[in-house]
Amino acid sequence: MDTLSHLMAGFATAATPLNLLWAFAGCVLGTAIGVLPGLGPAVTVAMLLPITGQVEPTASMIFFAGIYYGAMYGGSTTSILLNTPGETGTMVTALEGFKMAKNGRAGAALATAAIGSFVAGTIATVLVTLFAPLLAEFAVTLGPPEYFCLMLLAFTTVSAVLGQSTLRGLTALFVGMALGLVGIDQISGQVRYTGGVLEFMDGIEVVLVAVGLFAVAETLYNALYEGRGQTSMNRLNKAHMTRSEWRRSWPAWLRGTAIGFPFGTIPAGGTEIPTFLSYATERKLADPAHREQFGTTGAIEGVAGPEAANNAAVTGTLVPLLTLGIPTSVTAAILLSALQGYGINAGPQLFQTSSALVWALIASLYIGNVMLLVLNLPLVGLWVKLLKIPRPQLYAGILIFATVGVYGMRQSAFDLFLMYGLGLLGVVMRRFDFPTAPVIVGLILGPLAEAQLRNALSIGEGSFAVFVQRPLSLTLLVVVLLVLLVPRLWGWLARRAQARAALAHGA
Amino acid sequence: MNQALTPTPHRAGQIAMGAGALLLAALLAFGAVAIPSDAGYAGVGPDFLPWVLSAALAVCGVLLLRQAFTGGYRDMPEPSGAARGDWRALAWVSAAVLLNAALITTLGFILSCSLGFVLAVRGLRLSEGKPGGAAAQVLRDALVGVAIAAPVYWLFTRLLAVNLPGLTATGWI
Repeated sequence: MDTLSHLMAGFATAATPLNLLWAFAGCVLGTAIGVLPGLGPAVTVAMLLPITGQVEPTASMIFFAGIYYGAMYGGSTTSILLNTPGETGTMVTALEGFKMAKNGRAGAALATAAIGSFVAGTIATVLVTLFAPLLAEFAVTLGPPEYFCLMLLAFTTVSAVLGQSTLRGLTALFVGMALGLVGIDQISGQVRYTGGVLEFMDGIEVVLVAVGLFAVAETLYNALYEGRGQTSMNRLNKAHMTRSEWRRSWPAWLRGTAIGFPFGTIPAGGTEIPTFLSYATERKLADPAHREQFGTTGAIEGVAGPEAANNAAVTGTLVPLLTLGIPTSVTAAILLSALQGYGINAGPQLFQTSSALVWALIASLYIGNVMLLVLNLPLVGLWVKLLKIPRPQLYAGILIFATVGVYGMRQSAFDLFLMYGLGLLGVVMRRFDFPTAPVIVGLILGPLAEAQLRNALSIGEGSFAVFVQRPLSLTLLVVVLLVLLVPRLWGWLARRAQARAALAHGA
Repeated sequence: MNQALTPTPHRAGQIAMGAGALLLAALLAFGAVAIPSDAGYAGVGPDFLPWVLSAALAVCGVLLLRQAFTGGYRDMPEPSGAARGDWRALAWVSAAVLLNAALITTLGFILSCSLGFVLAVRGLRLSEGKPGGAAAQVLRDALVGVAIAAPVYWLFTRLLAVNLPGLTATGWI
């Protein structure tokens, strides 16, 4: 088995004491920021990007992956105890988990979340190990037209499907792509939108946008609107599940994994849809005695399924990232820019050119999952203490770390002013419900998509027909149209049926 | 549509967001005029995407404005937090970020960030309806700020070789 020998080599790299230390540091830091409100994995990785100047690629990718994973584990703790989900993926966990905790079953909810995350994360990593190399082999045969269509699909799903409104999602995407235009054009070397400002020549760093839109905006929004909000914390008890809770949890874990992984894999990622789907599935499949716990006293299936789906989807996003170079979540987008910083092009060739790095990363996921299970189950009480940090000090401290990330990237105080401007943009976007993830994805994927578009057109000798003449790219275009149109059609049909029913009723 | 009869409380802001999208579209178009369209072998030149984005944002801006004028944005959840903003708290936190940006190269990372910390903590405390604190409290905040900023500075400059500005050339402050 070729894959097996690669994986073993990966374990050999990942299990060196230094790399284990990086993985551990990532898991600890990730869990901490997952537990703390105000910071997510994406912005944490972004703030730490300056270290890529010193740390070698394999070690830093292992570190970043640990943060990415750890945040998912830590995030569920906060959702269950505080009912303030830090990530969209743990929103559903809060639905049932908080109710369970309110009724004195916090321990069981935390246990099923942590063990479910472990089960789903490990199964999903096995699936990545098996399928990513196959997909990479296939992806080598794709040309620029297909790539462009895949990116179009990623744009559409990230902006149009996630979030409340297609219009606001697309607006955010276009703003991100517009930010991506600033600087020197990759193909022609033409300078665009710098306004004569020297700092804009290199383009706008993704670190700057991520830190501004998330960390600074979160702090400003908090000061402006959320000072008087009161949160009450549930009592924590021992993380323990009874035999019947085990019996109810494990089918939910497996179903959640089965739902989550495919959603992470297709360039239409996001964890919102799979977690909600998993929640709906569990609610439907629960036997009547347990079904009435949903939404009342809290049903354990409603925590187990979505948590598993969340972790499986998060792991699944590594497949398009590593094999196609297409990020489908904000964190994946930042990981991509970390790779770009090293001069490594994520894409189908990655499995050949940087095979040691990729396999060490995959091996570290197995190791990280075990570490996180140990870190989270017995030590959950320790993490909860982090929630005692007073809010003003916490957010003011976040600003210090934001400064490190942004200033450390290119030693420019100009960037710090820009960061503040993006923070204000983030505040109004949040206030008027514009999603921020499409901005980041647009910023990173925009220039790549533009390059693919122009390469595709030069293959087609300047004709746009090249996109419909190739069967695969035509199929992808049809999928993009379906993703955009079907929900609208559905809504229209539903409204019409409703109107008709109302009419029939009235008559 | 009878929705239009009930004005939403966020109407002015929603109109401003739509206008902002239109303004950005105009800016993109204004800049795109200056970009040569020479396509070479590539079929479309470096000005192609700017024009596409400008048009797309213009369409988005018009649609946002239409929604704002006809009953407000669709599928709009109530924003989290208070209905009215605490502008005084925002001013303190803004001062924290902006002063830090202005002073970091002269005061060095540790002092500049600690100053920012003190200002930001004060603003966030005021937003909770608590008093900002007297001299003793400010001193305590400053010490906490230094206690966070100094180890961060040493960790990143010494261990990770990230360049951050110091007040002196000793590398300790």
